[in-house]
Amino acid sequence: MPLWVPVRSQVAPAACLSPSPEAPRALSLFSSSSVFPLPNSQCLVWRTDLLVISSFRMAEQPYMVASDSETTGDDKSQSAFHDLAIGIEVGTSKCSIAVWNGAQVELLRNTRKQKAMRSYVMFKDDTSTGEVPSGGASNKTAYEEKEILSGSAIFNMKRLIGRADTDPIVHASKNLPFVVQTLDIGVKPFIAALVNNVWRSTTPEEVLAIFLVELKTMAEVQLKRPIRNVVLTIPVSFNRFQQIRVERACTMAGLHVLRLMPEPTAVALLYAQQQQQQQQSLHGSMGSGCEKVALIFNMGAGYCDVATTATAGGVSQIKAMQGCTLGGEDILKNVLYHLLPNFDSLYSNRDMNKIRSMGLLRIAAQDAIHRLSTQSSVQINVDLGDGTKMQRVLHQSEFEEVNRNVFEICEKLIKLCLADSKLAAEDINDVILVGGCSRIPKIRSLVLGLCKKEKEYEGMDALEAAVTGAALEGAVASGITDPSGSLDMLTIQATPLSLGIRVHGGGFVPIIQRNTAIPARKSMIFTTTQDGQTEALIVVYEGEGKMVEENHLMGYFKVTAIPLAPKGTAEISVCMDIDAANTLRVFAGAMMLGTDRANSPFFEVRMPTLDDAHGWCAQALVKTHGSALDLTTIPKELQPQKVQ
Amino acid sequence: MSQPSSLASSQFLGLRVTPPPRSSAASVSPPSPSTLRCSGVSAAYAGAAERARAASTSPSSSTLYDTLGVSPGASGQDIKTSYRRLALECHPDVVATGRRGASADEFMRVHAAYATLSDPVKRANYDRELTAAAAILVHHRRPEPAPSPSPLAYARCTSYPGYGRRTWETDQCW
Repeated sequence: MPLWVPVRSQVAPAACLSPSPEAPRALSLFSSSSVFPLPNSQCLVWRTDLLVISSFRMAEQPYMVASDSETTGDDKSQSAFHDLAIGIEVGTSKCSIAVWNGAQVELLRNTRKQKAMRSYVMFKDDTSTGEVPSGGASNKTAYEEKEILSGSAIFNMKRLIGRADTDPIVHASKNLPFVVQTLDIGVKPFIAALVNNVWRSTTPEEVLAIFLVELKTMAEVQLKRPIRNVVLTIPVSFNRFQQIRVERACTMAGLHVLRLMPEPTAVALLYAQQQQQQQQSLHGSMGSGCEKVALIFNMGAGYCDVATTATAGGVSQIKAMQGCTLGGEDILKNVLYHLLPNFDSLYSNRDMNKIRSMGLLRIAAQDAIHRLSTQSSVQINVDLGDGTKMQRVLHQSEFEEVNRNVFEICEKLIKLCLADSKLAAEDINDVILVGGCSRIPKIRSLVLGLCKKEKEYEGMDALEAAVTGAALEGAVASGITDPSGSLDMLTIQATPLSLGIRVHGGGFVPIIQRNTAIPARKSMIFTTTQDGQTEALIVVYEGEGKMVEENHLMGYFKVTAIPLAPKGTAEISVCMDIDAANTLRVFAGAMMLGTDRANSPFFEVRMPTLDDAHGWCAQALVKTHGSALDLTTIPKELQPQKVQ
Repeated sequence: MSQPSSLASSQFLGLRVTPPPRSSAASVSPPSPSTLRCSGVSAAYAGAAERARAASTSPSSSTLYDTLGVSPGASGQDIKTSYRRLALECHPDVVATGRRGASADEFMRVHAAYATLSDPVKRANYDRELTAAAAILVHHRRPEPAPSPSPLAYARCTSYPGYGRRTWETDQCW
């Protein structure tokens, strides 16, 4: 009996965001609202004409939620699990939830017994039928792929979230069935789903939030407790803006993000656990064992990640990470253009029939790609509906040829990662291949070839490894312990991107280098570029480019009270701190001349202070202030000494 | 995300701005982590951190070897093993929620020590500095008995030649 009735005119609980212009208009939680009181009065007010809710089949028992206040002290084990964070992997294409059940990690299944649920949200007419947006996690009627591709559903949110309309990935998304509009001015793209023959706008965060509400509800029903804390996996290449967007979507859904974990590091944690268990069974004790180095290659529908990890004694130390926006979507696009060179033109006027036929072609191409993982050639037979039929054979060699650029990028990533971690192929003990695209024969042979391995590491499910690792992290970070020691483990994370500030001339000076172990704290001394300069701008960027334009602007603030001095003599200390939850704080101030003491209180700023797509602020700063507030580095010998 | 942010500023400040003696600024010999912290939260954190330290190092420890709880002659394998053991004790992910701020410092100290000692070149340089410092110590401080159990009496040296005035723990590993 479907029980989740659409709730109308209700204010969403547990959503506390700074009001933002694109405030999501639709989300509401139901039963759990009593459990999660609003932390403060700052809350989003939701439009009431479109409220979410998930359609969901109730479990046999009535859904009971114990509130925090009801938890009694003598119920300790229960209360420990009460806060236990669940692991969620929201993939570009599929998504899954896992939770530590006290003995091992268990993946939850939706009502259709699926562990991997299609990531999409279907927008339906809510005025006439009372239907509301619903996602692939728990909808009572499984939508056909055909329907998902009809323009009424939004998917690929993971590729769109936190990107500006100048981003090539956003541009590449324009051939998806729903509307993605760009104006190329560095603002958020406009996305819209077809509802009642009208393109209704939404945002990637909102779509993700709707989807997360469904996942949350599903988990709450199955686990019979409210879910608040989550460990979410993210791609390595996600910058801090994208991370904030994901966090915001979680907040909208009433979830608290305990950790955002790069996918390969979640896999590394699972690997650490498996190695630990292997050691125990071999030696019968908690030996620290010998160190094993693994290369983790993860490629899903949207992103490709590579990481190296050194594991021993249940501790996995991430040595280096590389990632980029490259995945099954790109492979699919290459194949579509190969099958139909004028693919773009068919989409330009968003004719419903064209959208439908493109959907059909997409399904056929996807199916062909899947089959090519095991066959050397596949037959494609698809009726595009408008009188055109496509009948042809696609050979593996053809497939590999059209996707050559994809494989080249994969190769480059792996080489970069090995170089960053100062490892040669011979140093690698295990090669772990995960993610849907790791099933493509060419990719397997490429990764194994680069690591000079005959076989990949066995014992890990390519599609479940990341979410399993996230659930393990959830248990570890929630403070759950296991008597058998299977939770005595840890992944020591590293920063995937460098963090630094702008210096005179527009150069980027990293303060925290990429692949620094987290938590981390680093500082550097800078100096003035003008005689008698009393103020300096600290402009913080994230990225790997040598010039700031190539990197992401995180925010800026002014250091004041610099003692009067000729240029190049005053000292400004800039310290960056990343805590275990990956929060970045920048701390800066001027020093008294020739001393180690602060001239006046320092400034502490939590970054990013800007929203995404605010890169233009950098130009505005330069335009207004020129180089009057610039800083520059000081010679190396005057920097704090390091142990060589 | 949910950490007491009040910790951070005092630590930043403590590390960079506290005037000499450097013992409070460098990783190498804070007698108690509480010296780095503001009063409001220090008591609880110091207590917990102290316990963690006591488990691995002597309170007067000052060398990176002491930080990792290994002897100066330890093998690379010993260093790795010890680093991992300490990481499992003090990493913010595994400690109780209440003392994560302190454990982050503890972990960064351990990691900095590991970063130096696990790199053969850096370790050799460090050893040289240590020996030089020990020599100075022997010359100038002989009358003062070293309370450290460390056989090489490294524990007392609070400064290494080659360390500039702006030295603190996080600069040791890059």
